[in-house]
Amino acid sequence: MTLLESILTGLDEARRHLGQTLLALAGVVLGTASIVTVLALFGGQAQLTQQYLDEVGGAGTLIAGDAPRSLAPTARELASERLTYRDARYLRARSTTLEALAPGWELNLPYRANGRDFSGQVAGAVPDYARINAIRPMAGRWLSDLDLETRSRVMVMGWKYADSLFDDAASAVGRLVNIGDKQFTVVGVMEREVFRFASWEDNALEYRNERAYIPLSTAFSQFAQTDNLSFMTLKAKPGMVEQAEDEVRALLYARHGVEDFELRPSGSFGGGGESGQFLLLFNYIFLVVGAISLFTGGIVIANILLASVVERVRDFGTRMALGATPGGVFTHVLAEALVVTVLGGIVGLAIGAGLTGTVARVMQLPAAVTPGIATLALGTSVVVGLAAGLYPAVRAGRLSPVEALRYG
Amino acid sequence: MAALIEARGLTKTYRLGQVDVQALRGADVDVARGEFVAIIGPSGSGKSTLMHLLGCLDTPTAGRYVLDGEEVGGLHGKRLAAVRNRKVGFVFQTFNLMPRLSIEENVALPLKYRGGIARRERRARAVAGLEALGLGHRIGHRPEELSGGERQRVAIARALVGGPAILMADEPTGNLDSKAGAEVMRTFEALHAAGNTVILVTHDPNVAARAERTIEMADGRIVA
Repeated sequence: MTLLESILTGLDEARRHLGQTLLALAGVVLGTASIVTVLALFGGQAQLTQQYLDEVGGAGTLIAGDAPRSLAPTARELASERLTYRDARYLRARSTTLEALAPGWELNLPYRANGRDFSGQVAGAVPDYARINAIRPMAGRWLSDLDLETRSRVMVMGWKYADSLFDDAASAVGRLVNIGDKQFTVVGVMEREVFRFASWEDNALEYRNERAYIPLSTAFSQFAQTDNLSFMTLKAKPGMVEQAEDEVRALLYARHGVEDFELRPSGSFGGGGESGQFLLLFNYIFLVVGAISLFTGGIVIANILLASVVERVRDFGTRMALGATPGGVFTHVLAEALVVTVLGGIVGLAIGAGLTGTVARVMQLPAAVTPGIATLALGTSVVVGLAAGLYPAVRAGRLSPVEALRYG
Repeated sequence: MAALIEARGLTKTYRLGQVDVQALRGADVDVARGEFVAIIGPSGSGKSTLMHLLGCLDTPTAGRYVLDGEEVGGLHGKRLAAVRNRKVGFVFQTFNLMPRLSIEENVALPLKYRGGIARRERRARAVAGLEALGLGHRIGHRPEELSGGERQRVAIARALVGGPAILMADEPTGNLDSKAGAEVMRTFEALHAAGNTVILVTHDPNVAARAERTIEMADGRIVA
């Protein structure tokens, strides 16, 4: 029996049992469609998370900070100076696993500029901070090594501060801004940073627009009595995140004599927010519905095939009398099952792709049906077809010609 | 003439639940090339079983069977299917045409199962076979559009298309009226006259009378 004949007979059988076939097809179509959609959305989510991680330094970026103080601190804890700028310089000198390191300091202070007063965040930063976080000025320049060395009173504004204080953000460059009673010259304005996990979510990077950067050394000399850091951004060499974490932990422990610091991957607090959780739940529900639909569709197909095999026992007997081998009959029935499921798989794939497009547009997600997902969907429908057709095919292939001819 | 069928002590035992049923109790059959033989006997006499064994549809429980110089008594499954395909042409009481294939597709089926024959050639041979049996005007039709006698002649064309060593017919006129039945019998006679070996199973004495020789069966044995 040739493949073509099997496919044609399969289609013919499908037509003869149109009602049942549609039912089975609906199962396979629904199942494939929901699995395709869910995988595409999963892919979109993963892509978003990756994008966010890249925005905050990429995978392999660690944030070090002070751990909360114990309620009853030990003598060692009290003796520790906590995370300092000196720690950062020590790590930079001793570490073999870090590619870059950016100590940071943050404090809310009163601003005065262009006749307006408000309170906002001041960030003490080093030149590497921009490199690790891949942020760029839209006008003017970023902080330089010279700024750091000379503790100059220069400032790089976040986009929102510059935009709300001056007529247009770029015109802030060259203007004077007071922090407390200290005057700073604006040398640059950062690009606006926007990242949304979903269209209705807040901008996850808005905090970067609502601050101004000054050299870390200036921050310490003007606004602090100590060189205590708020955090340190650590960028591990490629593929060395775990080693870097161990090494930094050991080096800091040696200096502090107590583990009064925390290390966590950058971006771990974000993760996608509430809507991310919501979407994830949604995805799992769809995945389960898809699996159940496919399973049901498979059972219905198996049933239809069994019925049609029983109906055609004498036909199979005749074919055997004419020279069809048991293997040929087996293949014939299996091919019929495959025709139905692959057809369902293709229709399901098309519907899933349409659904994904709609969801992606409405939710503004970067979800797309990739060739991998399409292959997986069609592969699944083939597997369902094989599973559904196997038993009927074995039954048909095992028929004895004599008994099959006598049947009915 | 050379022996085409040489069967010795053919036995077939079926197991029905706890009971062994001996459908055939050691039959010796010889058929020469070009003979026209009728197997007769009442139902349950074992004549169908004998035909199934001679037609390689089934494997004997015991006995030797040489068909066209080939020992086939011990063959099963795929190899037996290949022997059936090459050496035996079957005609059934109920025609057994595939309802959704055209008559030339039906006739071409044995060639398809043989493998290695191009689609075009299969069709050409099927059409030639149908024309030889006076069915040229029916090409392109489905079996359901044909009369009973025409359907049986399509079945005969199908049985002959692969050039088998024997033509086997099981009650070929059982489902036909007397006129169509007579026509089908004339076809068998013509085929025999042209040199084909024909074995026919029937319980109709009038049909059996058309054969050169009859093998009469009763209780699983050849009695005459």
